[in-house]
Amino acid sequence: MAAEASKRGPDGGANDLLNVSCVQHFSTGDGPGIRTTVFLKGCNLHCPWCHNPENISPLPQTLVYPQADKRVSYGRRRSVDDVAAEVLEDLEFYGLNDGTPAAQRGGLTLSGGEPLLQSAVAAVLVRTLEARGVPAVIDTAGCVRWQYFEPFLGHVQAFYFDYKTGDEQRCRELLGGDLSLIRDNLTRLLAAGEPVRVRIPLIPGVNTDIAAIEQICAQLTAAGAGSVDLLPFHRLGSGKYAALGIDYAYKNTPPPGADVIDAARKKYEQYFDCRVE
Amino acid sequence: MLFSSQQIDTTAGLKAEFKNKPDGQFRPDIFRVSGYEKGAADPALSTTVRRALAIRSLFTEPGAYIYKNDLIAGSIRPMFVVPDDAQNAAAAKYAAEFPERWFANNSDHYAPDYRTAVETGIPGLLQKINESKQTHQNEPQKVDFLDSMAITLEALIEKFRQYAAKTDELLRGLRNGDPAAEGYDKGRLEFIKANCEALTRGAPQTFAQGLQLVWMLHHCFVCEGRYAMALGRIDQYLYPLFRADLNRGQTTDTEAEALLANAFAKICETRFRGGDDVVNICIGGVDTDGALAVNELSYCTLRAVRDVNMPGPNLSARIAPGTPDAFLDECLKVIGTGLGYPALMNDAVNMAALRRYGYAEEDVRNYCMVGCIENFMQGQQPPWSDGRFDPINYLEKLFLEPDDDIADMAEFMKRYEKQLEKAVEDYVNATRAAAFVPDPENQTMPFMSCFCQDCIDRGLDINMGGAKYPSVHGAALMGVGTVSDSLAAIEKLVFEEKAVTLSEFAAALKDNYEHYPELRAKALAAPKYGNNDPFVDKYAVWYTQYISDLFRNYRTNDGGGYYTAMAANISNIYAGAGLGATPDGRLAGRPLSDAASPTYGCDTRGVTSTLLSVSKPDYSNCACGTVVNQKFTPSAFVDGKREKLLKLIRVYFERGGQEIQINSTSRETLKDAMEHPENYPSLVVRVSGFSALYVTLAREVQEDILSRTQHEEL
Repeated sequence: MAAEASKRGPDGGANDLLNVSCVQHFSTGDGPGIRTTVFLKGCNLHCPWCHNPENISPLPQTLVYPQADKRVSYGRRRSVDDVAAEVLEDLEFYGLNDGTPAAQRGGLTLSGGEPLLQSAVAAVLVRTLEARGVPAVIDTAGCVRWQYFEPFLGHVQAFYFDYKTGDEQRCRELLGGDLSLIRDNLTRLLAAGEPVRVRIPLIPGVNTDIAAIEQICAQLTAAGAGSVDLLPFHRLGSGKYAALGIDYAYKNTPPPGADVIDAARKKYEQYFDCRVE
Repeated sequence: MLFSSQQIDTTAGLKAEFKNKPDGQFRPDIFRVSGYEKGAADPALSTTVRRALAIRSLFTEPGAYIYKNDLIAGSIRPMFVVPDDAQNAAAAKYAAEFPERWFANNSDHYAPDYRTAVETGIPGLLQKINESKQTHQNEPQKVDFLDSMAITLEALIEKFRQYAAKTDELLRGLRNGDPAAEGYDKGRLEFIKANCEALTRGAPQTFAQGLQLVWMLHHCFVCEGRYAMALGRIDQYLYPLFRADLNRGQTTDTEAEALLANAFAKICETRFRGGDDVVNICIGGVDTDGALAVNELSYCTLRAVRDVNMPGPNLSARIAPGTPDAFLDECLKVIGTGLGYPALMNDAVNMAALRRYGYAEEDVRNYCMVGCIENFMQGQQPPWSDGRFDPINYLEKLFLEPDDDIADMAEFMKRYEKQLEKAVEDYVNATRAAAFVPDPENQTMPFMSCFCQDCIDRGLDINMGGAKYPSVHGAALMGVGTVSDSLAAIEKLVFEEKAVTLSEFAAALKDNYEHYPELRAKALAAPKYGNNDPFVDKYAVWYTQYISDLFRNYRTNDGGGYYTAMAANISNIYAGAGLGATPDGRLAGRPLSDAASPTYGCDTRGVTSTLLSVSKPDYSNCACGTVVNQKFTPSAFVDGKREKLLKLIRVYFERGGQEIQINSTSRETLKDAMEHPENYPSLVVRVSGFSALYVTLAREVQEDILSRTQHEEL
């Protein structure tokens, strides 16, 4: 493990440490079963609706909530062993030995930020846990070089692959990302037979109109995707923006109504196995 | 089906009828007067017979009341009166002459032997009393007590006759267009009449008759003024009748559910006299042979409590290792409605705890609960009693005269243990004194004794050796979180880091940390129970073991066990109100940690860590029971998510957790949390890729969640 862990981390940080934002136990929305979600700090996109703004910068940050008399610090360099030990505390909850089928077991979810920016060290974590039978889900926006995926191939329970827009210009301007890179990565993952769930945040004004949905459907079909999860926008993160002292562009945007969600679901269902989270 | 769906869907109708509250006061003492007066006329009568005569007038004078929506009858409405001065004076005179026992000396919080009652019927019990009189014919005191029991059962039969007569009156009224009968249903009245009449003649022959008998008995205990009388294992003792009905094609699950809901709804009648009752109903578990006991009636009971959807019926589900997931899932569905029931009990731990007290194995398997969570041998021991024991107070004593010569934590713990040893002895002496009744033959409970093994056979009162097992007392240990966190802070700051001496700490506590903000910050930053941190968790393990061991050295007045509990209701608030600052950083007057839970808001790593910590103590030490509260937002209870809660509970129980009480936060709670964030430090909102403490959310976002909650309500 030591040899592998000494590979240089792509975030340019300390090469055998993970830049961990926080660890969330008993996550119920981040994969099958009971998950322990490790949020890694730092992202190469800047989606204006992001609900985890504290995970965009790789630097440590403290959020101050005066109304709740609370300060929460995010961002700590932690060794793989340290993080693995914390994930393994929940070992019994993952259902590894109770007859639960492999695809439905709980385990680690790597989220962020963009966890693949710390690909090399994160892969050591995933393999360390894999050796103990703990499966991993990688929650990625997919806008990284293909090499960052490689160490995980054949070693994860699922890639939760975000697909936010099918519009290249919008992707560049709103997210700061290269859609063709995202699309190529998705295509390659699916071609390699990796387990992938495409996740689409339903963002009002961005990707909820039928034309935008049709565009995404066409690209996902071309990439070979079979299933999508729809994640309706919520503004739960707006308290975090306030605590960071940043203005949140979406603070006045209410979540999409049931009619909008329903229309989107019906459209996606024409092409994919679709579920709304 | 006996009824049309319209006829059996009665819960809403009953609730509407409850809105019309009776005038006057709930006054059992007023209705006892004429019985006592009759007794006074004959100086040869013993006190127990005179008490029985008072019970007879109490049961039979108020008369019958039947709700328009009743399927199962028995109402406390006629017990409400507006007495005049003379009546009050007479009641007071007899109350002084014939004092009733109370909670501290075993008067209520009792689960009657409904199994025998249902199998035997009231006439059958009278027959048994007669046989016992023959056996004891040369023991006049026993014969006398048996006579007093018989008087109360005959009064009960009279009560059934009164209810049957009342249905006759209403049926006549229906035929004659009498306005008093308006809104009554002929089919339901005839059903009640037939059931009540059958019960005057013999043992119940149908599920409905069995339930009518049990409900009327419960109603009689409430008439006696008793509180927290449990129904116990209703899915077991009524099952043979239910099964027989099913086999004959005479009932359905829907009908059983409706009948149960109709009876349970009337538990809420106690609101007429202010406040909810706590009527424990126990489902699931194993049977007396140890086989899994969940049956169709367990599900009917669960759904009936959900249908009633009011506090009062306090549902407990015994979860054995093999209890089907389907049943646990059904429990979670009911919890997800926001009701908070059933409390989930780990059968394996509870039975291991009870085995320490020498009960027969088949009785251990047949345990139920009284009150909130107190484990009880149904119909086999005198009524429950308990009290509050505050271990933190004796830690405080070590800071009154702090000794800086204490070299290490081990020595500190020895000093604390010594304090506790004495404190437990004092507690036991005080509670034994409170439970002591100098002339028990003058404070008999002849009616209740009819429903306790083996009072009839022995011809003895439930509190005088009639019961199969002796009385037990539960010491509710307060503040395991506060004590553990305090000991961890002392170990860390005084002995490990040597950041402060005991006398400096003592000065800071006395000062309520006012001039010691830095020390308080350090105390707050010390390891806290509930984060799966062995440094502090070891103290909870010690607390549970050490204090329970101390209590096991003692016996109640009649030789029963001193159980321990970690359950608080809201006593942790009272226990904290009178207490100074504590070494964990808690300020004076603030609540102690609740029940067996970590200090509120201090378990910051998520529910898996909380449960990993909380399952470390050996709860087979706590025969009374423990309570761990957890709150989840309604989204945790939807299809596809419940299985995660289910797994969480299974693992927690496999690890030896004893109980978990899960709450689905209602809209009201979420609203309250917006106004009083300080009371909800741990409430988590979970969605994909995100979770946040509710109180840190912006107000408009909290509004979003509120509107979501409305949609998600099951």
